[in-house]
Amino acid sequence: MSSALWIAVLASSLGTLLMRLLPLLWMQRRLARLDDGDGLEAMPQWLSLLGPLMIAAVFGVSLIPVNPGLLSWIATAIGMFATLAVWYRLRSLGWPVAAGVAAYGAVVMLLG
Amino acid sequence: MSQATQTLPRSWLTGTREAIPLLGGYVPVAISFGLIATQAGFSAWEAVLISTLLYAGASQFLFVGMVAAGAPLWLVVAMTLLINLRHVVYAPNLAPWLTPNRAWPWLMHGLTDQIFALAHARLPQLPAAQRLGWFGGAALLAWTSWIGGTALGAVAGGELIARWALMGEILPFALPALFLVLIAPRFTSRRWSLALGLTILIALALTILGLTNLAIPIAAACGALCFQIVKCGNAKKAEHAQGGRDE
Repeated sequence: MSSALWIAVLASSLGTLLMRLLPLLWMQRRLARLDDGDGLEAMPQWLSLLGPLMIAAVFGVSLIPVNPGLLSWIATAIGMFATLAVWYRLRSLGWPVAAGVAAYGAVVMLLG
Repeated sequence: MSQATQTLPRSWLTGTREAIPLLGGYVPVAISFGLIATQAGFSAWEAVLISTLLYAGASQFLFVGMVAAGAPLWLVVAMTLLINLRHVVYAPNLAPWLTPNRAWPWLMHGLTDQIFALAHARLPQLPAAQRLGWFGGAALLAWTSWIGGTALGAVAGGELIARWALMGEILPFALPALFLVLIAPRFTSRRWSLALGLTILIALALTILGLTNLAIPIAAACGALCFQIVKCGNAKKAEHAQGGRDE
């Protein structure tokens, strides 16, 4: 790799790190300045709104199967249903994911 | 020994265990990245170094793709940073639950989309003494799996994908399943349900149209707009009802 390419890698890495880090420092200073004991109150409303919505957007993006097609979409729907059903019953993190992957895999292998 | 010191190893293990579902999504994608990077002319250790330092899935693919296509390096850097711009809203959303500790800023290197989603749901539920360890364990597992997957893909990616094609198709489903579990408890009201549902649909539609990199910020912005519109609609209805009673 040429030195120019190295600089591009380092600049992209540093820029990405700063985008993850600087907003934290800004928010921590804001929390310290307000110091009212409730961090959630100190957070701007638009910011607390964007958190769950970003997760929902990442979920939407991740829904696309690796090889899109009728079978993989059916498997996705069944996998989602299995995940939701197990989550509704157990309210835990690991088992619903395992159940979803198992259901998705079963559909792909049995019907594929 | 302080309580924080005692709970650190246990909370690390909890964080590591709870991040395991992420591996289903991380490892196959990292293997693909390692393979594509070597096909684009990077050596195996260069691909690993990019994954170690940059550590941002979609933008890494764009980075090696643009370099391979001969794009000017300033444009490569600008586009990489533009795609990663969504990360600016992640850390402030976690800040209210971060304990005073100098390690937190360094751990922000591991704040990917997936770790943010996991931490946003779990940190508020954890005792303050366990949060640093939990985040460290989860972020470290995700980071090392990304690096390891890249190395594997760079060295033997072609053979792995040919031999276990079906696993590469099934395991990534762990990511949407995990996100579903994280987002499901947020459907607490009609207003939230509308905003979240719209966000999911727009993100899905934009990704189908090939606008994967724009899908997350645009969908989240539309969801926020929907949330505010529903709020204004409710406020007007309440005002109207109040006016009717006054008359």
